[in-house]
Amino acid sequence: MLSYSIMSRMYNNLKTSFCGLKLNSPIVLLSGCVGFGEEYTRIEGFSNADVGAICLKGTTLEPRLGNAPHRVAETSSGMLNSIGLQNPGTEAVINDILPSLDMDETRFIINISGSSVEEYGEIARRFDDTDIDAIEINISCPNVKEGGVAFGNDPEMSYRVVDVCRKNTSKPIITKLSPNQTDIANSALRCINAGSDGLAVINTLMGMAINISERRPVIGNNQGGLSGPAIKPIALLKVHQVYQVSKKYKVPIIGQGGIATVNDAIEFIIAGADVVGIGTALFYDPLLCNKINKGVADYLSKNGLDCVDDLVGSLVLN
Amino acid sequence: MCDCQILAHYQYDGDQFILTLDSSEIAKSTIPGQFVHVTVSDSIPMRRPISVMSVDIDNGTFDLLYKVVGEGTKKLSESKIGDILSVIGPIGNGFELTDKKLPLLIGGGVGMPPIIAIAQKIKDTDCDPFVILGSEVPFPFTPEHSNIGPECDEVSHTMPLLEEWGVACRLTSLQGFEGVYKGYVTDLAKAYLDTLSKNELSKVEVFACGPHPMLEAVAKLSVDYNLPCQISLEEFMACAVGGCAGCTVEVQTERGSAMKRVCVDGPVFDARSIF
Ligand SMILES: Cc1cc2nc3c(=O)[nH]c(=O)nc-3n(C[C@H](O)[C@H](O)[C@H](O)COP(=O)(O)OP(=O)(O)OC[C@H]3O[C@@H](n4cnc5c(N)ncnc54)[C@H](O)[C@@H]3O)c2cc1C
Ligand SMILES: Cc1cc2nc3c(=O)[nH]c(=O)nc-3n(C[C@H](O)[C@H](O)[C@H](O)COP(=O)(O)O)c2cc1C
Ligand code: FES
Repeated sequence: MLSYSIMSRMYNNLKTSFCGLKLNSPIVLLSGCVGFGEEYTRIEGFSNADVGAICLKGTTLEPRLGNAPHRVAETSSGMLNSIGLQNPGTEAVINDILPSLDMDETRFIINISGSSVEEYGEIARRFDDTDIDAIEINISCPNVKEGGVAFGNDPEMSYRVVDVCRKNTSKPIITKLSPNQTDIANSALRCINAGSDGLAVINTLMGMAINISERRPVIGNNQGGLSGPAIKPIALLKVHQVYQVSKKYKVPIIGQGGIATVNDAIEFIIAGADVVGIGTALFYDPLLCNKINKGVADYLSKNGLDCVDDLVGSLVLN
Repeated sequence: MCDCQILAHYQYDGDQFILTLDSSEIAKSTIPGQFVHVTVSDSIPMRRPISVMSVDIDNGTFDLLYKVVGEGTKKLSESKIGDILSVIGPIGNGFELTDKKLPLLIGGGVGMPPIIAIAQKIKDTDCDPFVILGSEVPFPFTPEHSNIGPECDEVSHTMPLLEEWGVACRLTSLQGFEGVYKGYVTDLAKAYLDTLSKNELSKVEVFACGPHPMLEAVAKLSVDYNLPCQISLEEFMACAVGGCAGCTVEVQTERGSAMKRVCVDGPVFDARSIF
């Protein structure tokens, strides 16, 4: 609580809102990188109160053991992961994990994945009756055989998934888009049409790494999702493209993909992101969030801007 | 998480290094089997997990022993005295030291450090440990003749640090080094166990860290002799705080198979739950 009050006093210009949620900071911790919200609090100096929101690990209806090792591998300026949505299942998350979260510290967003349209609807319905602040629909996971990116790469399937979730919950819905598709802006439009309140841009890109002495893929599942600074320029362009559509509907974006510095965060906001997601970079520097908070707050004051909103989408094209 | 200064950095044959870092916090709080997650270089963002080998609480320092196997450890080997490394730790559950009075400690290759850490922890207790260290490259220390433990002309050498601590230790290798048992760690372990009485065997608990095939052989030996056995595992890691589920291994539990995180649920597991 102490750091919460210090935070909000220190950086008043970082307070913002996203899909109707009041956030202390424009930083969102990304799904799959911070477990169920408690893991990083083991590190001295880290506090959930320093971020605006936390997206919890991808949750499916039934428990999943996930993929065979190796599940992670470092690549140039990034990493591959193929966790395979290991999670204890919707009921266990609702009954065992949600009650243990300190909902005063920050906003918590559940990230959901289904293997059918109906399953997405069912998970959304179950979370509708909980204290969770919002639901992020993951239609872009590259690491599971059924569902995931199979939905995200087809705008009509994306529409159906968002539509069924919309009918099953009154919580804010954020749809997480895949970069592994040709026209992300069209996909964003269909998700907005179906009632998505926000968009998360982008999930990981599919990639591979090969162990040359064994001539085998390093990742147990052969391929994985690429994240980290390597994908930043791609993510930035996708945010820019999606923003051209979403701004007309005033649908906000969580910009993400390789953000590791203050500059990166500012670039995403200028491109059209209302808030910025941090995942992989936390593995390098668990105390990064406060540096980004401070850097963005300083940038706003130096540039005579009152709040993050004033910077969103302020890109001037050549 | 803290910034630690490099106080010493020695190279041994076989591309092996011993690194001394300053941190009284880590020296004080580490239990055997725990590790640290280290930034090896500015040019390599992801951290590398390395076990704590020994601590010096009085001087507020701790030692790591590592082998260069790829780009990350290569960069680490280029770091100099006075350089600062960012360190998260100590991490992990560590070994559970029980009341068994005859711990058998087995370390293979760069699996030696957590085993040496146990020896340091129990050297002044009433336990009577026996350490077996195996290596197929030259040992990361100069083996010397031992005056502690079983007497045997061919198998007479030990690690000087363990000798200094008064802990009995013998070495194994297939390479035919002087004073070193020619064979696998499990061969020597079996020979040692066969010298014990039934009563003595009931006081043995096995602790092991090393390559996967070695751990499998140690686990089997423990089953054959009906001994409890704790093993320390390795897996690729990203966060090392339990947040990414990147480092899991399959573990058998009472409720069936489960995927456990090596970083925070381990790295130490009951051998019978793994093999
Ligand atoms: C809990 C734990 C304790 C360890 N303790 C020690 C120790 O005391 N001394 C020591 O020499 N080594 C230890 N290791 C292994 C050490 O982490 C790897 O050798 C090191 O990460 C290799 O990095 P690299 O970039 O040089 O190799 P590369 O092969 O180039 O690495 C590529 C990627 O694979 C990962 N990787 C490769 N091999 C391993 C491995 N065996 N374990 C985990 N990740 C790996 C690396 O972290 C990196 O992300 C430990 C590993 C774990 C999990
Ligand atoms: C280890 C790991 C696990 C992830 N798990 C999920 C997940 O369960 N659900 C999801 O929507 N995204 C998942 N992601 C994607 C991230 O949430 C994020 O969108 C992506 O990594 C890009 O951001 P970054 O470069 O800052 O990490 C995962 C990423 C990583 C690295
Ligand atoms: S390395 Fe992230 S959970 Fe173990």
